[in-house]
Amino acid sequence: MLVLTRKINQSIIVGDDVEIVVLEVRGEQVRLGIKAPRNVTVHRREIYDQILDENRSAAQTDPEDVPE
Amino acid sequence: MTIKTARFGNVEATAEDIISFPDGILGFAASQSFVILNHGQGAFRWLQSVDEPSLAFLVTDPACYFPDYAPAISEEAAESLGLMEQSPMLVYTIVTIPRGKPQQMTLNLAGPIVINAATRKGRQFVIDDEAYSIRQRVFEATEAPPEQKDDTNPTLEHRSEAAA
Repeated sequence: MLVLTRKINQSIIVGDDVEIVVLEVRGEQVRLGIKAPRNVTVHRREIYDQILDENRSAAQTDPEDVPE
Repeated sequence: MTIKTARFGNVEATAEDIISFPDGILGFAASQSFVILNHGQGAFRWLQSVDEPSLAFLVTDPACYFPDYAPAISEEAAESLGLMEQSPMLVYTIVTIPRGKPQQMTLNLAGPIVINAATRKGRQFVIDDEAYSIRQRVFEATEAPPEQKDDTNPTLEHRSEAAA
């Protein structure tokens, strides 16, 4: 993993068109601003992982179990 | 065209029935074309992959269970589907039923499937809002499934052979 040190209002560029700015650091929380093209989806990791897990469970649903 | 499915055998569909999901469904990025199949006469549908016979998601209209469901769709997300204010939009939620336990059915209200019915382009949105559960139980409050809804978009939907 690439590790960089940044100060408030400094940013990093990912590829040509994704920019992540450090907006605020308060205690254990960091606020980030993300500029990305509309076709790039940005989510908090834990939400993304939960939906991914749930999709995998949902894909196992059996037509026999569906209420009429 | 004939679509092979693991659950419903061969299903006939036309090119107009196909809905493209350029990003796939989260965790299943390889499948980018789906059709919607009715499940019996009720409010359930199957989002069936065209390219992967075994991949299908049970979906339903969230308004059947949660009439107030109105997740905020960001401008960016709407634009990614080319949705304008007047665009015909379909919103489904994916349903999970643990095997043999229909009473434990849940709806994923945090990951709705949104389809631009005009362009037949769809996407699973991630709603970052604690008000919407990924595993919303349905049968705690209600004893039975609610009244069935009429089909509002019959042109997009094909009844599967198994369900007919």
